Amino acid sequence: MDVWGRDSSRPLRGCMNSQTRKDKRSADVGLIFNIQKFSLHDGTGIRTLVFLKGCPLLCTWCSNPEGQCFVPELAYNRNKCIGIHECDHCRPLCEMDAITHAADGKVEINRTLCNDCGKCVDACPSKALTLFGEYITVPDVIRIVEEDGSFYARSGGGLTLSGGEPISQPEFSTNVLSTARSRGIDTAVETTGFCEWDAVRSVCEHANQVFFDVKSMDSEKHRAGTGVSNELILENLVRLRKEFRKLRITVRTPVVPGFNDSREDIAAIADFLSRLPIPVQYELLPYHGFGEPKYQQLGRKYLLGDVKPPSQECMATLRRVVISEMNLTRTEA
Amino acid sequence: MAQVAELARPLLSPQEERIERGEPIGLVSEEAQRKRARIHRMLAGFRDKPIRMNLERAHLLTESFKQTEGQPVIVRWGKALAHILRNISIHIGEDELIVGSAGPPGRYAIFFPELEEKFFTQEARPSEPDDSLVLTEEDVQVINEELKPYWEGKQYHGAFINALPDDTRRILELYCIIAPTATARSSLAWNHDYEKVLKRGIKGIKAEAEEKLASLDPVNPKDRVEKEPFLQAVILTCDAIVEFAHRYAKLARSMAKKEKDAKRKKELLEIAEVCEWVPENPARTFREAVQSQWLIQTVSRLEQRIGGTVGNGRIDQFFYPYYKKDIEEGRLTKDEALELVECMWIGMAQNVEIYTAPGSLSFTDGYAHWEATTVGGVDKDGKDATNELSYLLLQSKKEFPLNYPDLAARIHSQTPEPFLHAIAETIKEGTGFPKLFFDEEIIPLFLSKGGTVEEANDYCICGCTEAKMINHDAVSTGCAWTNLGAIVEMTLNDGKLKLFGDQQIGVSTGNPRQFKSYDDLWHAFCWQAENVMKHTFTQQYVADTLKAKFIAAPMCSMLHDLCMKECKDIHDGPIDGALYLGFIDTLGFATAIDSLAAVKRLVFDDKKLTMAELLDALDANFEGKEAVRQMCLNAPKYGNNDPYADSIGRNIEAFFVKLTRKYKSAFGGELDIRYVTITAHVPFGAVLGATPDGRKAGEPIAEGVSPSQGADKKGPTASLVSIANTKASGYKERAARLLNMKLSPSAVAGPEGTRKLMSLIRTACDLKMWHLQFNIINKETLIAAQKDPEKYRNLLVRVAGYSAYFVDLTPQLQDEIIKRTEHAF
Ligand code: SF4
Ligand code: SF4
Repeated sequence: MDVWGRDSSRPLRGCMNSQTRKDKRSADVGLIFNIQKFSLHDGTGIRTLVFLKGCPLLCTWCSNPEGQCFVPELAYNRNKCIGIHECDHCRPLCEMDAITHAADGKVEINRTLCNDCGKCVDACPSKALTLFGEYITVPDVIRIVEEDGSFYARSGGGLTLSGGEPISQPEFSTNVLSTARSRGIDTAVETTGFCEWDAVRSVCEHANQVFFDVKSMDSEKHRAGTGVSNELILENLVRLRKEFRKLRITVRTPVVPGFNDSREDIAAIADFLSRLPIPVQYELLPYHGFGEPKYQQLGRKYLLGDVKPPSQECMATLRRVVISEMNLTRTEA
Repeated sequence: MAQVAELARPLLSPQEERIERGEPIGLVSEEAQRKRARIHRMLAGFRDKPIRMNLERAHLLTESFKQTEGQPVIVRWGKALAHILRNISIHIGEDELIVGSAGPPGRYAIFFPELEEKFFTQEARPSEPDDSLVLTEEDVQVINEELKPYWEGKQYHGAFINALPDDTRRILELYCIIAPTATARSSLAWNHDYEKVLKRGIKGIKAEAEEKLASLDPVNPKDRVEKEPFLQAVILTCDAIVEFAHRYAKLARSMAKKEKDAKRKKELLEIAEVCEWVPENPARTFREAVQSQWLIQTVSRLEQRIGGTVGNGRIDQFFYPYYKKDIEEGRLTKDEALELVECMWIGMAQNVEIYTAPGSLSFTDGYAHWEATTVGGVDKDGKDATNELSYLLLQSKKEFPLNYPDLAARIHSQTPEPFLHAIAETIKEGTGFPKLFFDEEIIPLFLSKGGTVEEANDYCICGCTEAKMINHDAVSTGCAWTNLGAIVEMTLNDGKLKLFGDQQIGVSTGNPRQFKSYDDLWHAFCWQAENVMKHTFTQQYVADTLKAKFIAAPMCSMLHDLCMKECKDIHDGPIDGALYLGFIDTLGFATAIDSLAAVKRLVFDDKKLTMAELLDALDANFEGKEAVRQMCLNAPKYGNNDPYADSIGRNIEAFFVKLTRKYKSAFGGELDIRYVTITAHVPFGAVLGATPDGRKAGEPIAEGVSPSQGADKKGPTASLVSIANTKASGYKERAARLLNMKLSPSAVAGPEGTRKLMSLIRTACDLKMWHLQFNIINKETLIAAQKDPEKYRNLLVRVAGYSAYFVDLTPQLQDEIIKRTEHAF
């Protein structure tokens, strides 16, 4: 297991680089990989999602693989590359000789040589080369988030920190959320729950709503799917529920065929949730494969290529399981 | 962690679902089909009918004109209209309850010989079997042998062209820098004051004219030469309108005599009774009100071509008292009310607009016409005006499958939540209705332009995005479109366009390769723009002052307070007390912003390219210069709330409004800056070379005030903020800004999605947008429709201020709609 408690049999190349590169993150500066406005499915109203980069888990189904490792990473979008006959701006710039010509007239990135320095990115006219990961200060995040202030006012929306794992940058996330809240912006966090309790507490204290993932009650299965076991996650959820009695907590389970799409899997989670001292909301989200192209762009393999999204019938069945397990009267699931 | 922002499968809008199920055209819900079986029957096969050309109006007009040579224009038009109304063939269709048609049964287009110059300069030919418009051998004969010999040399268009200064004529004749629309139609989009007819009856208007006539000063030459002929024409017109209605009554009675079916017999007798009473007398019931309004519209269609055709006005307001009374007194049910208005919708859908005048072809794609119908908004007192009828009209829009009428909803800060909910649910249907207009922007602007509080509060939508204060505004001359893309090209080409080689079209602003700074570029742009505007102003002035020598509209005028007061035809400005809120459309706003932003960023700020490298790439249409094009495409773009681009947009707008503020139109009005493209951005783009925003030669320029196709990458909120940021809010010389937004059905799915759509609309109101319309559709559906037009022939999409059948659009426009960014998230 690595420093993140992660199964080192599936290491992330980028994160290997993190051993050798200076970490610029601090309480005032965070590493993010995207800010997405007009987000409609991650909290109340029209929201802005800030995606923090780096995650202690390594879920096979992750749809944001660019959010997994803790340093900026080079992405190469082959479709956008206009090829060496038109361009070839990038190759001469690479000090690591990581860029080579490919047979189809485009380029190839040698991922063992590339150190994600980003020098080639500026030269690429078509944005085929981009760097996932940008350091940003708290005031800059707040400024961008506030651009959509009038939409929050009308829709009851606000800021949602997502990732990656936002709590893996606990001081920065705490700062962003507390600043936003002090300026009247609704706050929410999406978390895996796999972080030290103090960090979880410090961040969630400033959130009006927390989306908390529970992927499986079976620790071994959990480790196989995500790289870590689930004890810390479940423990954190219980503590969070107990310490923040008024916090809106929504537990989410990505339903991944072959991993947790059986009635038993979902029933076990629902059962666990129904025993919490104060109720939480529970949502099932169907797995989707939209993240696949980003794996290619990062030079990684997508392990779930053959997995189809769960059928509507399957989702409906599982939702019924949740309703009966949790004795819900209305469809909160 | 898994962040699931989208649903796993593309969700379909209700419209898409119906097409997938292969449903034929008809009312969309089974309940509606059952309750309004009549309408469902009338709709069957509606779009299969070919379009016939109504040449009868042209024939009668010409016949009358031959008799009235040399008489005052208003008298000639009064006599001609009366001749048409007395002699044109009339018919009452099976199932019809509301009668009146300006053409043969089924779908028809009207031929306007006073305007259709192109039919005369080019050889008219009979239609081919596949053409949607039927033109028979006899039709062609009438055009060539009867109409052409008379009208040649007598048309407004020819006189207009001859009267232009040489340099203006030259630039106009290129048809791609400035497109005049004045002579392709007799009037801009227009709304009559129907309420006047409903309340007073034609009888009342005639009495007013007679009174005025009696009180004219018999010695005053102005009274004798100007006012008397006007009033005589009005009286003649009033009589002819009443006779027209009575002809329908007579026909209905004679049909009733022969009718075997007792139920239909009764209906026909009712039709006769209604038409014997209205529009001559004030309406007493909802049915009479609808019939009266519809007959006035029908006459209007025969009187003159109104660009975008004649609007319906605030029908949820002026029909409401009749509706309420009938419902309360048990004379009418909601379904019967729907049936009556839907009979009228079918009447509107039957009249197709076909423009053949030079330059106007393909500027309005998809047989565009807009019987703009306004619901919601505030009343004259400034209170919310929504009533039961407003909801009913929304319901009809959801269930009635044709793209007529064009429903417009006025939104204000206190639009009731349930009404907004009904609007959002209707938008989600996916057919592009209703389009939205925002009182918080339009009312203050109208006040600043001289409207009274009551008039401004009571504005109605007119045409695709214009708004009108119907008894105060008197601008009726079609306004010109100008091509901002061409201005960009001339800026970078010393006043020349590649299409025309070395011909000096604009002013000479120097070799762009020598520009030292962005300021140099900006000044050249301003010079070119000022020169184009000079010609635009000029042609408008000429068109305004010349029109009244050719065209008059007695009915349109008698329904306008100020025309009656002054005893003057609407086209014969200036009319005392009238506001002339004309405009100039500047097309390709985003193309211009993005082009200037790209040059600024790449050449002057970041120095990634030299001006020579950029211009060479443009000359080569980016062939072999893909890297340059990619840089251009990735330069800052308008629509992303990026101050770099948006501030350029703000400067462009400010430049134009400051310029237009300096000059008055012929009738003392203003020419506001407007961003409405209809579909002209396609032909306007077709003539241009590559532009520095990365657009290739021939591709469409940007549309309305919308960001360039596909350039708005940050989502709809950022686009809306950009649009707000580029507006020169400190000036009143502004007009409509058309904005299209495409959302995927999944983004607004379910009750939660409806709520979010509602809050998006509320925020657009806060941001003081003028107009906003949605396409809720999957990109895949559009691509499939291009491949399989048969299956998708009933697919409606929002084009530009109106909805049209996707398969009726040109391939270029279809591509452009597909390319508009779809916001999913
Ligand atoms: S990121 Fe740096 S090392 Fe990697 S390919 Fe680009 S220039 Fe080379
Ligand atoms: S610079 Fe970009 S577009 Fe050019 S060859 Fe390299 S990756 Fe491709």
